[in-house]
Amino acid sequence: MANAFVAAFEILSFGAIIVLIVLGLGIIASMMGIFNFAQGEFVLLGAYVTYLAYAKGLPIWAGMVAAPFLVGGLGFVLEALIIRRFYAAPIVAMLGTYALGLIIRESVRGLIGGFYLTVPEPIGGSIDIGAMHISAWRFTIIVITLLVMGGCYLLLSRTSFGLRVRATLENPSLARASGISTPLIYGATFAFGAALAGLAGALIVPVFSLFADLGLRFLIQGFVAVMVGGVGSFIGPVAGAGVIGTLSAALPWVMAPVVADVLVFVLAIVFIKFRPQGLIAGKGV
Amino acid sequence: MLKPMSVVRQAIVADAGDEMDGAMAEGAAAGPAKDRVKAGRKVLPIVEGVVLVAALLAPLVLQDYLTVFATRVIILALFALSFDLVWGYAGIMSFGQALFFGSAGYGVALLARDLDITNILLVLPAGTLIGLTFALLLGGFLLLGRHPSSVIFVSLGTLTGSYAADRLARGWYYLGGQNGIPSIAPMTLGGYEFTEGPAFYYLVLGILVVVYLLCRFLVRSQFGLALAGLRENEQRIAFFGYKAQHLKAIIFTVGGGVAGLAGSLYAFHEGFVWPNMVGVVVSTQVVLYVLFGGSGTLIGAVIGAVIVEGVSFWLSDNYRDIWPIILGLLLLLVILFRPLGLISFVLGERERVGSFGAGQKETRDAP
Repeated sequence: MANAFVAAFEILSFGAIIVLIVLGLGIIASMMGIFNFAQGEFVLLGAYVTYLAYAKGLPIWAGMVAAPFLVGGLGFVLEALIIRRFYAAPIVAMLGTYALGLIIRESVRGLIGGFYLTVPEPIGGSIDIGAMHISAWRFTIIVITLLVMGGCYLLLSRTSFGLRVRATLENPSLARASGISTPLIYGATFAFGAALAGLAGALIVPVFSLFADLGLRFLIQGFVAVMVGGVGSFIGPVAGAGVIGTLSAALPWVMAPVVADVLVFVLAIVFIKFRPQGLIAGKGV
Repeated sequence: MLKPMSVVRQAIVADAGDEMDGAMAEGAAAGPAKDRVKAGRKVLPIVEGVVLVAALLAPLVLQDYLTVFATRVIILALFALSFDLVWGYAGIMSFGQALFFGSAGYGVALLARDLDITNILLVLPAGTLIGLTFALLLGGFLLLGRHPSSVIFVSLGTLTGSYAADRLARGWYYLGGQNGIPSIAPMTLGGYEFTEGPAFYYLVLGILVVVYLLCRFLVRSQFGLALAGLRENEQRIAFFGYKAQHLKAIIFTVGGGVAGLAGSLYAFHEGFVWPNMVGVVVSTQVVLYVLFGGSGTLIGAVIGAVIVEGVSFWLSDNYRDIWPIILGLLLLLVILFRPLGLISFVLGERERVGSFGAGQKETRDAP
C-alpha cells in the first residue's frame, strides 16, 4: 500500500513536471504554429537564473520569481528580432529556433562549464502521512503546476487578452481588421510561452540540478506530448503532456527502463499517425 | 552538362593520384568548363570540378593526420549527400538521418565483431542494405497512408525515431551500452587491410564520386524533376497524376541507403561506434552541413560538410568552447539572409532550379 502510494506520487510529480514544461511549448505551438526548438533552452535559462540567485547569496525563491520575467523578456526581444521572420515557414522556424537554442545552450555551457550544479530546495524536508514520506518540494511543484495551469486557462478563456490571442489564432486578417495588433499579440504570446518555460526551469532545477543539456532532455518529450495532445488548443498539449508524463514515469515500474523509454515514443508516434489531430481536436482554449 | 565531369573522370582513371598528373587533370577540367561558362554561363560544373581536383590533391599536400581527418570529412560529405537528397530535392525534413547512418554503423560493427566479416565487398552492401531497410520501414510508416502526413509530423517523427534509437543503443548491453562497440577490425579486400591513410582516403573519395554521379543522374532524370516539383508545390505534382507519397517514400529510402553506406564507412574508419552516432546530435549536424552549403544542389552538401568540419577542426584547438556558439550564430545568419546556403553566392537561382530540363538534354548528348 505504502509502496503503491509512493509510486503514484512519483508518477504524479513527474507528470506535473512534464505538464509544466509543455505548457509554454504548447501555447507557442498552438497559438502561433511554431515548434520552438529553443524552448528547452528557455527552461535551461530559467534554471540558470535561479542558480545565479543562489550563487550570489540571494534567497532561492527570489531567483524563482525573477526567472519567468527575465526569460519572458528575452523571449519578447527574440520574437521581435528573429522569430517574427519565420511565421510563414514552419520548417525554417524549426531550424531557426534550433540555431537560437544552440547559441543559448552553448553560451550557458561556457558559463557553467561541464558541471552538474546543485541548487537546494527552497522548501526542504518531507511531508509525512502516516508511515509514508513524500518530498515537500515535489509536492509544491504539483501544486504550482495546478495553479499555473488554472491561471493560464483563465487567462486565455476569460480575459480580453485571451480573447485577442484566440482571435489572432483563428483568423489573423480579421483580427487585424478588428483593430487587434497581431504582431504585438504574437510577441506577447511568445514571451508568455518563454516565461512559462523559465518558470518550469526555475522550479525543476532543485530536482534535476543544473547542467547544459537540461532543456534538451525534455524537448523531444515535449514535442511528442504536444503532438499527442493536439496542436491548436490550450487543453490539447496539456492533456498530451499528462499522458506522456504519466506513461514515461509509470512504465519503468513494470518493465526495463530502456524498453519503457523507447516504447513511450513508439506508442506516441503510432498514435499520432492514426490520429493526426491528437487527443483533443479543434482550436480555441 | 556531364562533359566536364567525364573529362575529369577520365583524367582520374589515367592518373591515379600522381601529383604531376593531378595538375594535368586540373588543366583538363578547366578547359572545357571555361568554354561552358561562355556558352551557357554554367557555374555548377566548375564548382564541382574544382572541388574534385582539390579533393584529389588533398592527401598529397596534407600531413598524415590531416589525411585521416580529410577521410572523415569525405565520409560525412557522403552522409550530407543523403540528407540533401531527402530535404534539398524532395522537401522531406528528416531530423533523424543519423538513425540510418548509425544503425548501419552498428550493423557492420556487429558483423565484424560477432561473425568476423570484414570483407569490403560484403560489409558495404550490408551497411547500405541496413540503412535502406530502416529508411524503408520508418519512411513507409511516416510517409505512406491514407492521409498525407504533415511536414511537422514527418520531421518530429524522424527526430523521435533517432532519439529513441539513441536511448535504445545506450541501454542495450549487446550493443555495448554507453561505450558502444570499440576496436572494430579494419575492412579487408583479399589480404589487404584498409587502415587510416591515403588508401582509405581514395577509396572513400572514389565511392563519393560514384554515389555523387548516381545522385546527379537521379536528380536530373524525370524522377528528379518530379521530386523538385514535390518540393516546390506538392499539390500540383499530385494533380499531374504523380503518386506524391510514393515518390517521397522512394527518395527517403534511397537517402537512407546512402546514409547507411556512409555510416558503415565511418564505423570502419573510426574503428568504433557509439550511441551518439544514431542520435539527435549527429542528425542535426548533417542538417547544418546542408543548410550551410546550400540545399537543393548536390555539391552544396559536400561543400557544407567540408566547410563546417574544416572550420570546426581549425578552431577547435584554441576556441573549442565558443565554436558551437559561432556555429549557431552563423547558422542563424545563413537561415535569415542566405536560405539557399553559401553556394548561392556563386550559383544563381536560375541555374539551381532550371538546370533540370536543360541537364536532361545534355545528358543524352554526353559521350
